[in-house]
Amino acid sequence: MSVFRYPTLSGVARRVRAVLGLETGDTRGALPEPTSADGHSAGGVAPENMIWIFGTGRTGSTWLAAMMEEPEGHDVWFEPRVGTVFDPQRFQRHGGKHFILASQYKDVWLRSIRNFILDGANARFPELDGGYLAVKEPGGSVGAGLIMEALPESGMVLLIRDPRDVVASWLDATRKGGWQTRRRGEGGRRAESLAETNPNAFVRRHAYAYLQHVGSARRAYEAHEGRKVVVRYEDLRADTLGTMKRMYGELDVPVGEAQLAKAVEKHSWENIPEEEKGQGKFYRKATPEAWREDLTRRQVKTVERITAPLLEEFYPKGPAEQQG
Amino acid sequence: MIRDAWRKVRSRGMPPAGEETGSMLPENLIWVFGTARTGSSWLSAIMGEIGGYSRWHEPLVGHLFGNLYYERAGHRSEDEHFILGGRYRYLWLDTLRRFVLDSAAARFPEVAAKEEGYLIIKEPQGSMGAPLLMEALPESRMILLVRDPRDVVASNLDAHKKGTWTADLMRKGGKEKPPSLAESRPDAFVRGQARRYVRDVGNAKKAYDAHRGLKVLVRYEDLRANTLESMKRIYSALEIPVEEAELARSVEKNAWENIPAEQKGEGKFHRKAKPGGWREDLTPEQAEIVEGVAGSLLRELYPVRSTA
Repeated sequence: MSVFRYPTLSGVARRVRAVLGLETGDTRGALPEPTSADGHSAGGVAPENMIWIFGTGRTGSTWLAAMMEEPEGHDVWFEPRVGTVFDPQRFQRHGGKHFILASQYKDVWLRSIRNFILDGANARFPELDGGYLAVKEPGGSVGAGLIMEALPESGMVLLIRDPRDVVASWLDATRKGGWQTRRRGEGGRRAESLAETNPNAFVRRHAYAYLQHVGSARRAYEAHEGRKVVVRYEDLRADTLGTMKRMYGELDVPVGEAQLAKAVEKHSWENIPEEEKGQGKFYRKATPEAWREDLTRRQVKTVERITAPLLEEFYPKGPAEQQG
Repeated sequence: MIRDAWRKVRSRGMPPAGEETGSMLPENLIWVFGTARTGSSWLSAIMGEIGGYSRWHEPLVGHLFGNLYYERAGHRSEDEHFILGGRYRYLWLDTLRRFVLDSAAARFPEVAAKEEGYLIIKEPQGSMGAPLLMEALPESRMILLVRDPRDVVASNLDAHKKGTWTADLMRKGGKEKPPSLAESRPDAFVRGQARRYVRDVGNAKKAYDAHRGLKVLVRYEDLRANTLESMKRIYSALEIPVEEAELARSVEKNAWENIPAEQKGEGKFHRKAKPGGWREDLTPEQAEIVEGVAGSLLRELYPVRSTA
């Protein structure tokens, strides 16, 4: 029998980096121990310098990530979707000890998740030695809990937006000619069809998606004992610089105010060319509470009913009916 | 760039990075891919009975990674930021490799401790990710277990009706089985199952074709017709030593005839074990649906039967 042992590819990657003259990063540290004695990895991306942005799509995460990418020594990992791999809800019925993510072996697979992420980050951002990496991961929020458990030193941003505005934004994006429909092609045509033919069903589906994604991110936020902050899109719109300063303050990330102000200015709504904004475009309205114009009364009630626990927590004004 | 640099490393005569002492040997893993209701429980039970073998029952690791790679984010394979993006394929395949080997070693230390031990991984429902798993573990051995898609669909149609073994299974897990399409819209259910067959067996077949290591294709129908001979063929193709007497004993012990009668029949896990039973179970329209959706695989895997 052959006893040849295949080379581990993270070992390969480390050697590759050595061959290329790049700094190496050992990401094989046992959980929750840091990857080196002083709590920092030898190079590349340190787990404590990662800032995860969870929530859901259409909450302004692209905008926030764009601003977070600006300061020197900062970078953004744009939607790795690692959270989607580790979506525990997909496997609820497989609770047995044989399941790869069985609780009895959590220490083993949590370390694998950690390595999976850190190896991926180090390969993509080898030059970010000591810098900060924001991970824009709204689409992977279903796995936020496991990710934050695997990387307890990382910072976390829970980015929230009124679910009625989120659903209204999706409805616009997925209608005929909407940016999402154009981008997705064949798949988009199916979604477009539902947004056009049965908008109420579309609204219901996206309200549940909001509940699932933001609910998962919310639970991860609650459980995370490290640095974390809740950012509401509405606050970010009302006072971008102030909200960014608060966010970095809570995350204990030093960013010069002048640098931050420059980033905020560069990516402000007002600086997006007019022709790139409007109905059916990626940059649509950026107007909090625009759902009042965009959704029907019935659709509003649907979203409010489905997302009630989150709506009450983050937008406690009460349902639209009571607001007059 | 990573690949080129790796070639440079190898050409300088550096030894390959070793894996930790005491870890699972990848060549001692025997993967069983296909899809649900192809007899994988039976096959793995026969193999698991034999001394020196352990059985990992549906880890679903193939589903974990395959679902994102092939379905949910298949369109992002060229995106550098995507965690399973093409540019970093060698890196994440290594992670997948470590994920499997570390998990296997933690669960089956008795196999990891010795070089002669084998771990049979029954993974029909993770077959979607079979190409990724076999690429990550090229030394592993592979069994592609197939069955006529019409019989597979018929078996699933029976399993998902009200009050069957699948409902019992869910109840054991503290849940009630929701109403199934198998009852309300059986033709739609059949179509869905046929698509699932194509997804699972199609990907498992791709993995089988690409795999350069030891492998064997087994048809459920051959296993039923002559179990011992089929089993001997499997061990021979996989180059695994086995005592024929021990194998015969295991085959006998796990024979359909030795399953108590009250555990067999409609709605039960052990249903018919009858190749061609679909002729009694499916309507002609349903058989046509399956043949339409899975026709290509059916012709490839059952070239004679498909023309019958």
